[in-house]
Amino acid sequence: MHLGPLVRAMLRNKVRFGLLAVEVALTLAIVANCVSLILEARRELTRPSGFVDEQLLLVTATPFNEAFREVAYRDTIVDQDLAALRAHPAIETATNSGFLPWQGGGSSTMYRRDSKAELVRTQIYAADEKLLDTLGVRLVEGRAFTREDVLRNTEQLRALNDTERQRDASGLAAVKVTVPAIISKAYAQLMFPEGQPLGKTFEDEDGDRWQVIGVIDTFYNPYAWKIGEYATFYPRRQGSYEGGTSYLVRVKPGQLTAVEKGVEGVLAGVNANRTYRVRTVPDVKRRFLGSQTLMVRLLSIVIVVLVFVTGLGIMGLTSFSVAERTRQIGTRRALGADRAAILKHFLLENWITTTVGIVLGVGLAITLNMTLLSEVDGPKITPGLLAIGAALLWLAGLLATLWPALRGARVAPAEATRNI
Amino acid sequence: MLLHNIWIAWKSLKRSPTLSLLIVSCIALGIAFATTFATVRHAFTKHPLPDKEPVLRYVRLDNWDPRTAYPGDSLNSLPPQVTYRDAMELRRSTLPARQTPTFRALLTVIPDPAISRPSREDIRLAESDFFEMFQVPFRYGGPWTREADTKQEHVIVLSERLNERLFGGRNSVGQTLKIETRDFRIVGVLAGWQPTVRMYDMTGSALSEPEAVFMPFAMAVPMQIRTAGNSDGWGTQAGTGVAGFLNSETSWLQYWVELRSPADEAAYRSFVESYITDQKKVGRFARPMNYRVSSIATLMTDFQIAPKETFALLLVGLLFLAVAAVNLIGLLLGKFLARANEVGVRRALGASRRDVFMQHLVECQVVAVLGGAIGVVLAAVSLRALNAYMLDMTNRAGLFSLDFRMLLLALALSITAGLISGVYPAWRICRLAPANHLKV
Repeated sequence: MHLGPLVRAMLRNKVRFGLLAVEVALTLAIVANCVSLILEARRELTRPSGFVDEQLLLVTATPFNEAFREVAYRDTIVDQDLAALRAHPAIETATNSGFLPWQGGGSSTMYRRDSKAELVRTQIYAADEKLLDTLGVRLVEGRAFTREDVLRNTEQLRALNDTERQRDASGLAAVKVTVPAIISKAYAQLMFPEGQPLGKTFEDEDGDRWQVIGVIDTFYNPYAWKIGEYATFYPRRQGSYEGGTSYLVRVKPGQLTAVEKGVEGVLAGVNANRTYRVRTVPDVKRRFLGSQTLMVRLLSIVIVVLVFVTGLGIMGLTSFSVAERTRQIGTRRALGADRAAILKHFLLENWITTTVGIVLGVGLAITLNMTLLSEVDGPKITPGLLAIGAALLWLAGLLATLWPALRGARVAPAEATRNI
Repeated sequence: MLLHNIWIAWKSLKRSPTLSLLIVSCIALGIAFATTFATVRHAFTKHPLPDKEPVLRYVRLDNWDPRTAYPGDSLNSLPPQVTYRDAMELRRSTLPARQTPTFRALLTVIPDPAISRPSREDIRLAESDFFEMFQVPFRYGGPWTREADTKQEHVIVLSERLNERLFGGRNSVGQTLKIETRDFRIVGVLAGWQPTVRMYDMTGSALSEPEAVFMPFAMAVPMQIRTAGNSDGWGTQAGTGVAGFLNSETSWLQYWVELRSPADEAAYRSFVESYITDQKKVGRFARPMNYRVSSIATLMTDFQIAPKETFALLLVGLLFLAVAAVNLIGLLLGKFLARANEVGVRRALGASRRDVFMQHLVECQVVAVLGGAIGVVLAAVSLRALNAYMLDMTNRAGLFSLDFRMLLLALALSITAGLISGVYPAWRICRLAPANHLKV
């Protein structure tokens, strides 16, 4: 097969082959970028939180009875609530904490190594001695909170809030306290890059010290300021009159729906002068990731339909170019070209067109990617992705050409003499 | 002539049904994707209150930590809300025609035990101007008076849905409802208010529904009501309890003003600037002078109300249409050239090039508009599916709808696609020399 005549013949039909090349180029650009966006979204969708998401729910009980204004009364109710929850046959354990994984936010604060160092932001949540068991996280170092920690620290922090603190000239509290803390591995690495965080302290803006007593393994809770992996937990009874008291509950596997329905009754059994709100972590997570899930689905549909449309387009155009050249094919066949030669001619023609389209498409894909990245956070398009896209388009082009090309190859030599 | 051309186009379509189906479905898919994704983006970017764009303004002040900027990208590096003490000072200005500090709270509503158990409801605290500023529609009654704000009257406005639940949809104006420990008199019931985005508070989820109860802002202090929305604070708090919180640098209030004219807006800006300058003298606002007095449209950009993904989808949708158009050029070219003989006869019988060109262009338009119509139907179907999905995810029904503007867009896209794809093939066919295609 001589390439020269083939290319010269194609050049005489620039528009048709040009159109095909442009179509292939656009398709490659769109598909490569869609796949890139899908891969990025999937990274977030499949990212582990480190907790037993499928077994968690958060229930918040908010009182509407004046008796709850008194702290001591609230404390007794919290203890009774926890006892009732932990005794429930479908519940593994529960912790008095307002932490709701996958909420897409939470509470955060800033700490520093010492008063000269820079402040580093972390998520922060109060919890009790059952925190780690409830979340199902592994301790890499140190120990969990004890009941003593919770009681002692609650008392210490309440005392601080009741009176105005005396401050020295630099604005730090005159009398400082030390709070035990369990932090995530990522925050430990950020705060103590030299390692061995156990027993070390960092401080808040009052000058109070926070001492690391434990480090937990994977922690991920998406947060607006890219502090999803940074977490600090401290022992304290969580809850207030206005905001109510929250319990993060770990149910036995498969019992989530049952507990979701029944947990209100468990708490109402302790004290009914409250309203309840129950949120399961799988549901919160599903909603938080909703737009990304949707985008993955929509882009997947786009890819499938687009490749299909492009395939049809290639097939249509090749059909025309075959039909139009019936007489030339007949002539070539009459002059001795066999069917394979005709088939090869069309396939090669198409391959050249697709290749030109792919070269154009790579440039277009990168341009489109840059346009997208100016608006959307995402990864740069990778050469590997482009290579896979190119290979797929080559294959699609080949398949789409095969049928019209086979029809061309079936043209009888006699066609050359007919219909002049 | 036009009708005749349309009739010829229809006959030509019927002559080769498979090819016609291919051509029409190609353009239909392009229009369907482009229209669907444009509608999705439109739902987030369309102005919820276009009449008020020139006059409503949202105030932000940079009272953040002198040592470090407010987290976020450079454009938004100031707190999204204002502190209580700043809100109270801003309110002293008499320049705005209307103004209100506002925030969302969660409180326990305690109805007659015979009707319902107590429940936690979203409550919006605002001043009486709020309702006029945001054109809130009423079913029964109306807003409370400015006097009610200053006198701390116990009055509330209910959402239509809560009124439905507690009073069976009847006119409840004049009835009382207990919230936390106090009795409130109902003065108004809303008429199903559902702005596309919650423009008066963009700090939370913009797709949230308006609150169930509206209450005078003045109740916040005596009832010690805390925000249920975001609050941003820094530094240490002087004083304890509520007084300490209200006096702190924690920002948790949205502050809106309505200004009569651009001149008033300029005057208001200098008022804000001089306020910050005064505060700097007492040691606050230690960061460089930075404040915003922004319209709803600006806020929608700053708070990135339209998810970035919708931009990607829109771009992909339009490019899909481009592929469909390119595809169409090829298919039409083939289709037209295949009937060169026919055109030769017409030319020989006296049809001008212009006639032939117009005939084929009309055929392209027929194909495009037909495809566009099918595309719009496909878009409507897919938007229904998307609405069902969003209802599940956000409790918002009918978020995406093909309004008049989107239908117009679909029509414009179809005609443009038809023109772009049609001009070249029609031009090619009209340039053919008739003699070459006639049998002799």
